[in-house]
Amino acid sequence: MQASRARLFKEYKEVQREKAVDPDIQLVCDESNIFKWTALVKGPSETPYEGGVFQLAFSVPEQYPLQPPQVRFLTKIFHPNVHFKTGEICLDILKNAWSPAWTLQSVCRAIIALMAHPEPDSPLNCDSGNLLRSGDVRGYQSMARMYTRLAAMSKKG
Amino acid sequence: MQSKEAVVDDGEITSSLNVANSEFDEWNNFGDDDIMQQQYTIQADEAKKVPFVGDKETLSSLAAEYKSGSPILLEKIKVLEEQYAAIRRTRGDGNCFFRSFMFSYLEHIMECQDQAEIDRIQPNIEKSRKALQTLGYADLTFEDFFALFLEQLECVIQGKETSISHEELVIRSRDQSISDYVVMFFRFVTSGEIQMRAEFFEPFILGLTNTTVEQFCKSSVEPMGEESDHVHITALSDALGIPIRVVYLDRSSCDTGGVSVNHHDFMPVAGDLPNASCSSERNIPFITLLYRPGHYDILYPK
Repeated sequence: MQASRARLFKEYKEVQREKAVDPDIQLVCDESNIFKWTALVKGPSETPYEGGVFQLAFSVPEQYPLQPPQVRFLTKIFHPNVHFKTGEICLDILKNAWSPAWTLQSVCRAIIALMAHPEPDSPLNCDSGNLLRSGDVRGYQSMARMYTRLAAMSKKG
Repeated sequence: MQSKEAVVDDGEITSSLNVANSEFDEWNNFGDDDIMQQQYTIQADEAKKVPFVGDKETLSSLAAEYKSGSPILLEKIKVLEEQYAAIRRTRGDGNCFFRSFMFSYLEHIMECQDQAEIDRIQPNIEKSRKALQTLGYADLTFEDFFALFLEQLECVIQGKETSISHEELVIRSRDQSISDYVVMFFRFVTSGEIQMRAEFFEPFILGLTNTTVEQFCKSSVEPMGEESDHVHITALSDALGIPIRVVYLDRSSCDTGGVSVNHHDFMPVAGDLPNASCSSERNIPFITLLYRPGHYDILYPK
């Protein structure tokens, strides 16, 4: 508990210092609980998520950083490796390939990379995965783009 | 209840199935997080049975395990009994090599009050720290693990405020918040060494997994619970400059008749070797591990 707190505090300071370095990621710690974080990540360019801003919720366990944080999308997203209803993410580093070498910030980067490079062979959203697996890239992209517009873009734009 | 166990058995495969197959409605609410939680619970239950590091036992306890097993193994255990006095078991959680190494190393320094060894290893630890920085690791990701190990090194030397007893060393090596941190320290050191000498390790890694060196470190060295192979042992031994003897207990036998037990000494490439046991003999490993396919324990020579 003490160790995880100390580590998270270091990450907090690092995030403040590096804000300008990673303009695509805005990571914020809950004011009253250092084990709860949220992030806003920009959809990578040249993907159907471009132009969207996606909110992620982090729940950090007491065993952190020996155990991974739990992360899910709060913003609806159509992606083979994200559960359409719960926002749960299928990403190895959040499961068995986790190591303390990762930080909350680098997890955000990995999630952005996953958005740009979906892995349809281990889908959490089978409809999305099946479109890609059957080679219907256009179908996948238009669905993903539609949900980006509906859920991840401000209404004004 | 049974369906839950099945989910854990098959890991990720079933986690995708639970969405695909609407027949298993209750699985829809059973996500990866639940599976992870259940895995942690199982690990905690396991923990109650076998500590991270066990008590010293005689080798006859090893023989008892194979009472109705292979006669070759029993023969080999007899040979081992001539050379080795005791065994100390570690938990089979994928960290057994690093955990055995940790205990064996700290216990050696404690028993010999080997301050010279601490002085010798410290520059190597600093070299590892630099290596990780060079490789682009942020300090905050590894520094806590380094600090905790250095603290343990200080504690085993007697006559200081922070000094601990042998009993306390055993307690600490069973305490997850210390033991796992030291294991993780070794994982960082191992990963750094492999990546700094990527050209040397690449062919061995290709033989094991067919991935890049970096990918191998990310998936098979750094995550807790990933088992160690000769690549890990070579890298750790080289990085810290500590020779390691591994004694192999398997069913292999030689044609020449008599049963013998093979061992392999991992000798670091670097020049400055620590002293063996408490004597002045160099180049003989003071860490001896017993390898049985898939698992490492600690051996005590007579």
